[in-house]
Amino acid sequence: MQERLVNSFDPFVIPYTFGLIFLLTYLFIALIRVIQALPNDDKFKLLKHIFSLKIFKSMKEIFLECLLHVKIWKKNWTLGYMHTALAFGWFMLIILGHFEVQLFAPHRLNLPWYPIFFRYFMMETETTMQGSFFFFMMDLTLLLVLSGLVLAIIKRFRRKLFGMKRTTKLRWNDQIAVIALWSIFPLRFLAESFYSEISGGSFLTAGMGSIFHWFYNFTENEIYIRPIWWAYSIALAVFFIMLPWSRFTHILTEPLFIIMRNAGIREEHRNSGYGKVEIYSCSRCGICLDPCQLVSVASLRDSAAINYTRHLRLWKSEKAHQAASICLMCNRCTKACPVGVDTAALKLNTKHEVVTFHTDQQYDYLTSKTAESGAEPAIAKTLEPTDVIYFAGCMTHLTPATKLAMTKILETSGERFSFIDEDGSICCGRPVLLAGARKSANELMKKNAELFKQTNAKILVTSCPICYKFFKENYDLDMRVLHHSQYIQELLKEGKIKVDPNGAKIVFHDPCELGRNSGVYDAPREVLKSVGELQSTAYDGAESLCCGHSIATESLPYRKRHMIANDAVEKLTTDHPDVLATACPACKKAFSETNKIAVKDLAEIVAENLKC
Amino acid sequence: MGKISENLNYPKISVVVKNMKSIAIIGSGIAGIEAASRLSKFGHKVYLIEKNSEIGGYVAQWDRLFPSQTEAKTVLNDLIKKLNNRAEVLTNVTVQHCEKKDRQFELVLTDNKHLVVDAILVTTGFDIFRAERKEEYGYGIYENVITSSDLEKMFAENNVVCKNGESPKRLAFVHCVGSRDEKVGNRHCSKVCCATAVKQACEIKELYPSCEVFNLYMDLRMFDRHFEDMYHEAQSKYHVNFIRGRLSEAGENKEHQVIIKTEDTLAGKPLKLTVDLLVLMTGMEPCYLQKTINSKLGLRSDTDGFLSTKNSFTENNLSNADGIFVAGTCTGPKTIPETLADSRAAAGLLNSYLMS
Repeated sequence: MQERLVNSFDPFVIPYTFGLIFLLTYLFIALIRVIQALPNDDKFKLLKHIFSLKIFKSMKEIFLECLLHVKIWKKNWTLGYMHTALAFGWFMLIILGHFEVQLFAPHRLNLPWYPIFFRYFMMETETTMQGSFFFFMMDLTLLLVLSGLVLAIIKRFRRKLFGMKRTTKLRWNDQIAVIALWSIFPLRFLAESFYSEISGGSFLTAGMGSIFHWFYNFTENEIYIRPIWWAYSIALAVFFIMLPWSRFTHILTEPLFIIMRNAGIREEHRNSGYGKVEIYSCSRCGICLDPCQLVSVASLRDSAAINYTRHLRLWKSEKAHQAASICLMCNRCTKACPVGVDTAALKLNTKHEVVTFHTDQQYDYLTSKTAESGAEPAIAKTLEPTDVIYFAGCMTHLTPATKLAMTKILETSGERFSFIDEDGSICCGRPVLLAGARKSANELMKKNAELFKQTNAKILVTSCPICYKFFKENYDLDMRVLHHSQYIQELLKEGKIKVDPNGAKIVFHDPCELGRNSGVYDAPREVLKSVGELQSTAYDGAESLCCGHSIATESLPYRKRHMIANDAVEKLTTDHPDVLATACPACKKAFSETNKIAVKDLAEIVAENLKC
Repeated sequence: MGKISENLNYPKISVVVKNMKSIAIIGSGIAGIEAASRLSKFGHKVYLIEKNSEIGGYVAQWDRLFPSQTEAKTVLNDLIKKLNNRAEVLTNVTVQHCEKKDRQFELVLTDNKHLVVDAILVTTGFDIFRAERKEEYGYGIYENVITSSDLEKMFAENNVVCKNGESPKRLAFVHCVGSRDEKVGNRHCSKVCCATAVKQACEIKELYPSCEVFNLYMDLRMFDRHFEDMYHEAQSKYHVNFIRGRLSEAGENKEHQVIIKTEDTLAGKPLKLTVDLLVLMTGMEPCYLQKTINSKLGLRSDTDGFLSTKNSFTENNLSNADGIFVAGTCTGPKTIPETLADSRAAAGLLNSYLMS
């Protein structure tokens, strides 16, 4: 091949070049600002990660997620193909374009527009066959991108084909970017087809070009051909300029997000640079809309994760706080998110920013002040040494059948145990933390840890998944922390308790805090299988529904909570089980209040069928 | 006196008999009975449909009625006497199917009996909130936690004792169990429980003068005639303790006494009480069959589950469907006098509808 124009310049490259310079400048400034906003230890973590072998792990993840979109494939093949075709296809066009320049005009690599408009500047020679491989690859990739584009257009009208009931609406900024993006590839296709007589092409562009010429045999200087190159350049420019102001920001932020996440950076205190990258990594794909029961059952679309991140992007902090405070934190959205945006952590920070708790006044009952004033102290001051401590949890005190069942099981097991919150307790701290009051939560945690230490126990058993998660992850306890489902499973395995199977048909509902948020899925199932016939549902394991009575929500009206609970019970009982079992006092209360089916904690079911 | 008033109220049967129409009344609580006796006296053929084996509804389970301490039996017997067997009572059945033909309704009952009637009166009443749903109060878990209707039965059987047979030394009533409680999906006030609690507190004190009685309330709604007198007497004569505060949870000690945690919201102090017997004032909910009946008859309920009326001021006995009338507690909690007045009004309205 050889160069067709001596100066390798044509005015139509100006819009593209301007757009690219704008985008790169913006990117540079944004990157500096993000890194500046990071706390110092996070900056260090980032550096350490970049200069370690782990960076290759990040690279691999970037390739799999940002280009191939593997997680979306797992959700729906058509949707996965669409994303791969657009992202990987475009990436390959850029890479192959640079290869072509490297191969045929290496001295032009310094011109930023050259690889993009390569076909305009080059013409075929007798040695063109050398490039036929690239021509073929370029056409194949272009076809891939165009097929993705067709799917993207279909998706706008028939989203059910892509496994989505709901999707996001395009705002004006997104609309401009989408129109620009959608026109880039057809314009490129047209421009290259018209020029295929001069610059060559493969099955797609050359084929199309010969069809055009069959209709009308034009020459390159005819007035209506060059505008297509102009349009192609302008479309690219518009897309580049709109990129930071639209949903497509994620194309640039997501790789950085993956690197930062793999470097171990987390948003723990307030939303800083990492949080910014995280919210801009949201591609507004809308995959999180369907799993969100606030959207699908309670019609509260504004609270969905995707809209929460939008409020943050638009600096609407009041709306963001509203969405955060209504959220049930069931994490169905974060599990579904193909990017892995942890909105739950961001929401906690949003809540924390506005919370106005004062620990000093609230928790004087933890110290001796209350005792002096004559009122009964809420907590026993000292605890006797024992092997197993049972901490029912405040919520379990509201479902006394569970705590009585646990007492019976513990007594039967013959273990040396003590029921440490029988006459009242200090909250584990997670509810206060979920309300955004970190300082208060710390106060409670300190006191609880002190009390637990006095017992020298080896095992701490709790009936409440909320306490379980917190004791396990946030307390630094020198004992094993078990949810009662795990403890009962151990007792059964060790033969310390035995049950008589009763053959009842049981459906188990995974509580969010135990299942999705703590990863305990098997223990409760194993326990229930020893008693009855466990039925499976479409909402087992990580797919489990929220009962609607999560303690995380501060402002969800009870009517809406009941709607969610009723809907969940209906979905879980389609096979008419005898009993709906769960392992969380909040879920138990939520479901029994629907008054539709017998709801029991698995401890009750075990206790009822104990072989004494 | 009784005779004169009856003669004044009702037209002579012979006058209206040629225009005899038929009515199906669904539910034979006091609202159904009262409407049945009025309508049959007007000369119409009345079918009284009852899902249970006996007529009389919940009033048949009560012992004495507030505020006058009249025996419930007396009131119910009076109503049944007035009915004088003029209605055809169909027990152990509910409506299986209903079809409207012109201005008539064809009803198929669960025993496959067909009825063709000119109008329907729905008096399905209420059901009592299942206290098990407030698990934190321990009903069905702790042996000395009972409901107000359990206590009413104990009064009727003259056997108000704890599970172990001993008489209670300390007893507490919890108001608003299943009423005014959004957590269980009931925002409405059940109206009658406050007065019932005060009545039962006084009765306990009459039975066991040395027993300490606590009433844990949110608001005391002493809205009707003589209620305030009763409340006053409870304090001055019977020394019942009224504490404003809602129960948070109940527990049990080794002696099977009930330990309750609450807050005296007027004093602003948390409170822990040990009582021998805990009485839950369970509220009213729509009849558990209401949804089924609604789907058969094409009726609508409000968000609280009670039946909607055409106009809550002027047309509160008309349902959303033509020819179907409503009366009694199926349109919301009512006291016995209110229920009876409502059902008489419905009977009058129904009569003019049938005669037109």
